[in-house]
Amino acid sequence: MTAVAGRIRAIPTWQLTLGLALLALGFLVAAQMAAEGPRVRYTSQERTPLVETVQDLQAQQAQLKQQLLDARAAIQNLEAAGEGGAAVTKQLNDELQAARIAAGLVAMTGPGLVIQLSDSTLPVPADGNAQDYLVSGADVLTVVDQLWAAGAEGVSINGERVTVSTAIVDIGGSVVVNGAYVAAPYQISAIGPSTMFDTLTHQQGFVDFVRARSQTFGIGVSYATPDQVDLPAYAGSMNLRYGVATPSASPSSPPATAPASGMP
Amino acid sequence: MGRGRGPLAVGLVLAILGLLVVAQLRSQAQGQGLTQLSVQDLTELVANVTARNNQLRDEIRSLQAQQESLARAVQRGDTSSSQVRSDLTHILAWSGSLGVTGTGVRVTVNGQLPGPAVGELINELRNAGAEAIAVNGTRIVPGVVVTGDPGHLMIAGRPLSEPLELLAVGQQETLAGSLSRAGGLIAQFTAQFPTVEVKVLPQDLVVVPPTDRSIAPVLGRPRL
Repeated sequence: MTAVAGRIRAIPTWQLTLGLALLALGFLVAAQMAAEGPRVRYTSQERTPLVETVQDLQAQQAQLKQQLLDARAAIQNLEAAGEGGAAVTKQLNDELQAARIAAGLVAMTGPGLVIQLSDSTLPVPADGNAQDYLVSGADVLTVVDQLWAAGAEGVSINGERVTVSTAIVDIGGSVVVNGAYVAAPYQISAIGPSTMFDTLTHQQGFVDFVRARSQTFGIGVSYATPDQVDLPAYAGSMNLRYGVATPSASPSSPPATAPASGMP
Repeated sequence: MGRGRGPLAVGLVLAILGLLVVAQLRSQAQGQGLTQLSVQDLTELVANVTARNNQLRDEIRSLQAQQESLARAVQRGDTSSSQVRSDLTHILAWSGSLGVTGTGVRVTVNGQLPGPAVGELINELRNAGAEAIAVNGTRIVPGVVVTGDPGHLMIAGRPLSEPLELLAVGQQETLAGSLSRAGGLIAQFTAQFPTVEVKVLPQDLVVVPPTDRSIAPVLGRPRL
């Protein structure tokens, strides 16, 4: 025994740590393989290829988004390279960059908060609807709109920047943002003033939402106020296929109280 | 192995371990979400993600053409100001700082809806590809939302009176169809708000005004 103990003591500490780390790695791999079992059993033959198709499409989408951002960056560089010292072009480029930032085409950082929505952990009653206990697209849309109303100047949902054209769609128990599938829990990040959280929690719409979804169905609503909130750039299309820009001398209307100009 | 290499190996293995844990947790979370969906939902999801991917491909092709054209202009020594101006106009129109004119729909709401229901109408129009939207003459841009109870609606801090009129630029059939389809938003509203009547009319010409507010960030800075 003394000889064995002596041999163990002789093993360097780093070897012991390495051994433990490899052991943990082994457990992780084994646990993952074990966890796959039940999921596969519950997965119907019809569903498996569809799940794989969605995963493939998502992987393609990630590549396409990167390609799009790269192409936009290359164009931006070429436009800057073409300045040629002309003051008017320089000014145009500055305006263009400001427009890109305002439109959400540039990643942004600033003060703000992150609201997390998570599925309920409450048991679904026998006469209950399981969907009510999952975060829906309508829930995410409500929180996003409430954040805008509370003064947010930029918002993203699980890494998808919310822009003028962003739709938040509910497909069964999943949420699609900008045409991209995002999984629960939903982290809604917003850049805005330091008063944003107070304003948000005093808004009737948010109070109603928490009462209806969190208190009734147990939907998790939590928040964090990190020092800096990072929002990604919008990586999607900016189609104007059916409409054209109509430059106007003055911006629209305050008159929100009357219907807009008549159309044929 | 020398004394210095031991801790290095441990660090390396721990780093790999950490990466694997994060990767597994992420894939597990997404995979579990997907396997909980029905076949019908998965089919709809495939259609949705495919449509987005096709849009991205179109946009990339268009950007690549623009990039080649710009590269040639730069080689010739052009200042490319016309290209920059064109880009600027496009972004300003898309983001709401310039008006947009085109085909589309007019949606009229007779009766009182709560603010979130109007938000759902706007969201549905966006999902159907609306390129610009206005509610009673106010352009919908980030930060502009309709809030309040029925009869007391507000938009961008201003009262919004009935009847509501939403204008949207886009493909007429798609915009109208998405709202009017069986089980669509209008059908849902009919069940939920029986006294409210929502009509969608395709329009050959819709004029959506620019926003009257600054959409430039004040607190946020570009992250380069």
